[in-house]
Amino acid sequence: MSATEIVFLLFAALAVGSALLAMTTKQLVHSALWLVATLGAVAGCFVLMTAEFVAWVQVLVYVGSVVVLVIFALMLTRQQSTISAEVTGNRWTAAVLGLVAAVGLGATVISGFHGERIEGHRIGSAKSIGDALFSDWVLPFEILSGVLLAALIGAIVISRSGTER
Amino acid sequence: MAEVIDALLRCVAVVAVFMVFPLVVGQMEHKAMAHMQSRVGPMKAGGFHGWAQLVADGVKFVQKESIVPTAADRKVFELAPAVALVPYLLAMLAIPLGPFFGQGNLIGQDLDLGLFFVLAAMSVGVLGTLMGGLGSGNKYSYIGGMRVAAQLMSYELPMVLAAASVAMAAGTLSLVGIANEWEPWWLVAQLPGMVVFFVAGLAELQRPPFDAPLADAELVMGPLTEYGGMRFAMFLLAEYAGIVVLAALTTVLYLGGWAGPFSDDIGWLWTLVKVMAVSFLVIWARVAYPRLREDQVNSLAWKVLVPVALAQITLTTVLVVA
Amino acid sequence: MTYGKGLLQGLAVTWRNLTRRSVTAHYPDVQPDLPPRSRGVIALQEENCTSCMLCARECPSWCITIDSHKETIPATTEGGRDRSQNVLDTFDIDYSLCMYCSICIEVCPFDALHWSPEFAYAEGDIVDLTHDMNRLREWMWTVPAPQALDPGAEPAKELSAWQAKQAAEDAE
Repeated sequence: MSATEIVFLLFAALAVGSALLAMTTKQLVHSALWLVATLGAVAGCFVLMTAEFVAWVQVLVYVGSVVVLVIFALMLTRQQSTISAEVTGNRWTAAVLGLVAAVGLGATVISGFHGERIEGHRIGSAKSIGDALFSDWVLPFEILSGVLLAALIGAIVISRSGTER
Repeated sequence: MAEVIDALLRCVAVVAVFMVFPLVVGQMEHKAMAHMQSRVGPMKAGGFHGWAQLVADGVKFVQKESIVPTAADRKVFELAPAVALVPYLLAMLAIPLGPFFGQGNLIGQDLDLGLFFVLAAMSVGVLGTLMGGLGSGNKYSYIGGMRVAAQLMSYELPMVLAAASVAMAAGTLSLVGIANEWEPWWLVAQLPGMVVFFVAGLAELQRPPFDAPLADAELVMGPLTEYGGMRFAMFLLAEYAGIVVLAALTTVLYLGGWAGPFSDDIGWLWTLVKVMAVSFLVIWARVAYPRLREDQVNSLAWKVLVPVALAQITLTTVLVVA
Repeated sequence: MTYGKGLLQGLAVTWRNLTRRSVTAHYPDVQPDLPPRSRGVIALQEENCTSCMLCARECPSWCITIDSHKETIPATTEGGRDRSQNVLDTFDIDYSLCMYCSICIEVCPFDALHWSPEFAYAEGDIVDLTHDMNRLREWMWTVPAPQALDPGAEPAKELSAWQAKQAAEDAE
């Protein structure tokens, strides 16, 4: 086992561990902060897999903005010292769905990339991602940006509808 | 073995820069701000014009009792200063200082994606202040924390957009690459982007006039209200380190980094001079302008900076493609 | 174009201040240039005091304590009347109470109290801020000479009265 693999395992364990803590901790704010640790550890995994671009974007967008947004939303809601998550009937459905999604994703990744090595060359640099995005994957990219634009307009419409009434 | 020594040496150098530069900027803030207000600032500590004032302050901070309020969320409260400080240390790792007497570029580690790395680190640094606001168990801290979050979300976008414009013009995300590609006419072509980047950076650091989250007149000290002693000193150091990082980034992206006469030998000196000049501008803005109201802070970001940044990107695209 | 004007003005004002000398008084290194009649500390010309108690009674903050006794001066001429004189025992001013209003000085009919510009008499213990007679007498040495009159001002009444008297004596 090389040093890289050991570090990767550490990051992976950190990611899984803090993800578990994020779900089990009693305080919502702590969950959000554990989520930061998870996302950071995942970013570390990305770096070790030479996907630097994804790693820094992960930190910039998810740690820097999405978690802040989550915390902001939490702060706007009513704070109780210990909020125990409400157990609804959907809990088990959610668990099954989550498990199915995890197994499905895992199976896809393993079957897709089984046995591939990324030694020697860097596949995750900005240049290679940019090349791939704007040659092979232009159509999905454009469709995605259309979806995001629609979401943006939708958000504006929803937030404005209150003021016009 | 040589690699390990090299890595160690680089780390030590970065840490040394990290410890010294913020102090220099802090001292400059003391003196420049004082003279802008017709005062003299510190005069006693160290003898000559109070040069050791911040050292004395540091010694004082160390001696103070470390207090955690009863209502505070202890872990979050104690961790917050470190979360605020460490990202800036990491950011400095990737900022180039320029050629050093023909010995190659003075930099902790040249990253292929240095620009994104530094921006990511800066956005994580703000998380520390946010944690301080959440964990203090104090209403003023809490409101300050909310303002921090709102401000961070508003200003992250124009900052990244403005930085992306330069990266597009240079055709690379490496900070060394961008500074190498820099040409003097960018000073004009990228001027709106530079202003947006600088202003958004000020807001992200919560420096006046964008210090609504701290706003001592209304929120005592916002997220830092409950902090004292060493933890408060770490927040202060993070603030000044943030100024250095912002100034260095502005220099490298928009002012050509080490561009200047004899840059092959004394390029690093040019970078330092420019960094200090931009840091002075940060201080100047603090003295010259009153604090923006919270709604003004957000409307400035969304109604002025974001459109300007988008226009800048469009302009850069036209220039690059043409 | 009023939008950017204020921003530039802010920079201009601060820059101008930066290039000018600061107005700070470097106090412990450089003694302050105090205006005449600065109210630093009240000095007592003990010899002028008749223990009339006017100052102690007028003091709004009751910071003056006076104690005295009568002494009899035997008559100097045969069959004359003995004269009595007030002698000061105590004259204390408590500077922790004093509000520097200057009423005691105004009210003193015999010019026994004067303002001295000395201001640095802080103490570690509040009790020591009560200055007794001897200490108040010592402050007298720091009282500056009276200011010269403004040009064109009418001369002091005492002086003109004395001059008139001299003139009358000369005429005789």
